[in-house]
Amino acid sequence: MKMKQNIRNHADTQETISPFLESMKNKPDGLLVPDGYFESLNSNIVDRINKEQNLSYSQNKIPSPGKPVVWAPIMVTAIAALLFIFFIPAKNEATSIINDDWTEIYLAYDASYAEEALIAESSLIDNEINNSESFAESLLLNTNYTPTDDEIADYLETQEIDTDILTND
Amino acid sequence: MPEYTDIELIELFRDADKKHFAYNLLVRKYQEKIYFFIRRMVIDHEDSNDVVQNVFIKVWSNLDSFREDSKFYTWLYRIAVNESLSFMKSRNLRSYLSLSSPEAIKMKTLNADSFYNGDEIQKRLREAIIRLPKKQQLVFNMKYYDDLSYDEISVILGTSVGALKASYHFAVKKIENSVLSD
Repeated sequence: MKMKQNIRNHADTQETISPFLESMKNKPDGLLVPDGYFESLNSNIVDRINKEQNLSYSQNKIPSPGKPVVWAPIMVTAIAALLFIFFIPAKNEATSIINDDWTEIYLAYDASYAEEALIAESSLIDNEINNSESFAESLLLNTNYTPTDDEIADYLETQEIDTDILTND
Repeated sequence: MPEYTDIELIELFRDADKKHFAYNLLVRKYQEKIYFFIRRMVIDHEDSNDVVQNVFIKVWSNLDSFREDSKFYTWLYRIAVNESLSFMKSRNLRSYLSLSSPEAIKMKTLNADSFYNGDEIQKRLREAIIRLPKKQQLVFNMKYYDDLSYDEISVILGTSVGALKASYHFAVKKIENSVLSD
């Protein structure tokens, strides 16, 4: 604090500058301007003011891209397009779902279960049912076909019927 | 043509019919002083031309709201200081890309400027001033070239008179040492 005050006091008494600087003060400093520069400066400034005023007037008429009335609808459209692309599920035409009860039950319980596995399984089950029905039918209706004892025993076993009935005892 | 005081010109400016007339007179009264004040900071003529036009455009936009709690020309100088510093700040940002110091760029500009015809001593003086810190440059230029009082400079820069005296004193010492020792 004291040093600052001393400097200021010293500065007060040292207002005079060296003779060199004193002599340079009154000489031209070498900075030149083009001919007629100051005569035309005023009109150049007024031209710029008029241009800027016209520009700001036209900007008020046309909404600038920075204004909400311009970018808000663009944003909404972009967001809607992104939602449409990413969130509406794509329909896969390669496999068709068999809408039987069995498949629906499986889908209800576990949506990640592969559709192909369901289809295959469903068709396997159908085949088994068909096979067992046809076998039963053939037994009943096909008088030309005579099943063997082993075939009869197998059938009874699958139907969980006691094979003892085959015996006459 | 009668000579108008600044206060009279400001009153005329606020009259819609005489606005342009008053403005033209104000520009013609201060254009040289403000131009050379800016030129001593900015160095290049074309850059100085841009900055001085920006200053007077700001005067046009803001003179209606000028509160007259300071003199008109101290207000005008304050605008010129701000515009010059803004310009130099933007130029300094560009100088980072060129890896040269702002002072070196200014000296290069001065040597290449077709609107400069200073001799060797004047160049050395100009170089010594350019090497001063910006605020010292401002104080030195306003005191040495424009003969403003410390009170006026204090209003323009918002710095105490004592600090300004110290700043000018150091600036003078640095310049004299630099020019006279080389």
